[in-house]
Amino acid sequence: MTSQRSHRLRNLGLHIVLLTTGTIFLLPFVWSLSTSLKPLSDLFQVTPSLIPSEVRWENYRDVFVTAPFGRFYMNTIFVTAMRTIGQVFIASMAAFAFSQLHFPGRDALFIVLLTGLMVPEQVLIIPRYVIMREFGWIDSYQGLIIPLMFSAFGAFLLRQFFLGIPRDFLEAAKLEGANPFQIYWQIYVPLARPALTAFGFLVVLWSWNEFLWALIVTNRTDTQVLSVGMALFQGEHFTNNAILLAAANLATFPLLVLFLFFQRQLVEGITLSGLK
Amino acid sequence: MVVASSLAQVRRRGRFGLTVQARSEARWGYFLVAPMMIGFAVFSLFALLASLVLSLTSWDVLSSPKWVGLDNYARLFSDDQFRTALRNTALITAPNVLFRMIFSLGLALALNTDIRFRSFYRVVFFMPVITMPVAIATIWKWLYDPAFGPINAFLARLGFPRPEWLANPGTAVIAVVIVLLWSGVGYDMIIFLAGLQSIPKEYYEAAQIDGAGSWRRFRDITLPLLTPTTFFLMVIAIISSLQVFDLVFIMTRFGAANRLPTVVYYVYEEGFRNFRMGYAITMAWALLALILVFTLLQFRLQRRWVHYA
Repeated sequence: MTSQRSHRLRNLGLHIVLLTTGTIFLLPFVWSLSTSLKPLSDLFQVTPSLIPSEVRWENYRDVFVTAPFGRFYMNTIFVTAMRTIGQVFIASMAAFAFSQLHFPGRDALFIVLLTGLMVPEQVLIIPRYVIMREFGWIDSYQGLIIPLMFSAFGAFLLRQFFLGIPRDFLEAAKLEGANPFQIYWQIYVPLARPALTAFGFLVVLWSWNEFLWALIVTNRTDTQVLSVGMALFQGEHFTNNAILLAAANLATFPLLVLFLFFQRQLVEGITLSGLK
Repeated sequence: MVVASSLAQVRRRGRFGLTVQARSEARWGYFLVAPMMIGFAVFSLFALLASLVLSLTSWDVLSSPKWVGLDNYARLFSDDQFRTALRNTALITAPNVLFRMIFSLGLALALNTDIRFRSFYRVVFFMPVITMPVAIATIWKWLYDPAFGPINAFLARLGFPRPEWLANPGTAVIAVVIVLLWSGVGYDMIIFLAGLQSIPKEYYEAAQIDGAGSWRRFRDITLPLLTPTTFFLMVIAIISSLQVFDLVFIMTRFGAANRLPTVVYYVYEEGFRNFRMGYAITMAWALLALILVFTLLQFRLQRRWVHYA
């Protein structure tokens, strides 16, 4: 009896705590949504109200008029898609070879690759920028995509996964006369689909939000992505904060939808790898 | 012994001793790792070497680099702006890491119960984690707006003054830490939840039979068994905190006129605004050194408090 009552009391306390923190966590999103629908006059209230005096959906249209936001959107989608396909493909191929095939120098190569995990991006960013200048890749999609297509982390993560697949598959397929690429593509990729999807989601998440490299490697609006476009247009073109926040919401929206639909894969990927 | 000697034999036979099949497998192996290794060689290994060399030069991108030896490194120690950047980074990192651990563990404990709407709360706390940092900074900058933002309106209603959050370093640090917590806690919470769920239920049952109360069970079972998770999250939190850039860049760039440069912010400024590439790279190396020191130190200290089952 008493333990049931204390249990209920505890749950009530938990509900209060969670409801309060949950509200605090949601408020910035709610406020951003409400501000993005406000007419300009509503923005200059000393005691602002959550409810807009009138709902102005046109702010969302104005985002695309004020800045080449449509272009930023397309660029972000394209760059994210290419980086994701590239990273998953390149890393999984290497992971397959590192875990299943035998070749001289294999482990040494893998160890070299692992050291790359420890170097933070900032040390590499200026030399990479110089390489891009030499290649003539400043302000190009190649410049945005290719340097960020090689994930030592991905190779490491997927190798761990492939190690759990018995080599019998490989031997059996070899007897059938399949070459290692066919074996990788037709047997290991399907078997590793959960791990590949989880990793792919992490890459999408990271790539969509990436800022520093895109800021450095692009100067022209026709190659800029959402994060850079939003950062640079602040204070210059977006003088109306309602439109600016509409832009912020538009930049967030696709990932939120993706997250809500593929919550489990994403969370699994994150717990699997402990990476942000 | 036998295995070792036969292994040595295989090795000695070397490339020419491989059978036709093994040679074909090796060729495929190289072929499949080639894209990764070539990309890695160019964009990481070569870049790393170039980075070391460039840190010994003075270079404005337009003319050719001038050799200056260790001057850039010496300058680190006399550069007040770098010291300010370090201090800002430290001031952000310390409270961020501490409160991140506390809040995220608290939320994970609350959600590791039979409470209703668990999955809803989990989504809510996790939403900021997947939100674009630039968008986060944009939204919060508006929330912190001194004249028209809701935070100051709320404070004013309670009779407090309206601080200019992002305009002076003291309040800007608080403002940035709050945003970092808001956007980072959900991630740690997910990892803590996974850690909590991996603790065998039998431990708690046994402790309950022995008459341990809920506080004792928390202190003697949950906390010690969570130390590996906590250790991992702390290492990650410190590293990511030391590298903070997007948030401060957006939140303090306009109006506040660079009131809160962090180390990476200063690297960006020096490299891509002032075109002092050599010095910018040197600062990046200093950051790497700092990260390494902290990480090694944590691995050293872990023996004292991390329990591996």
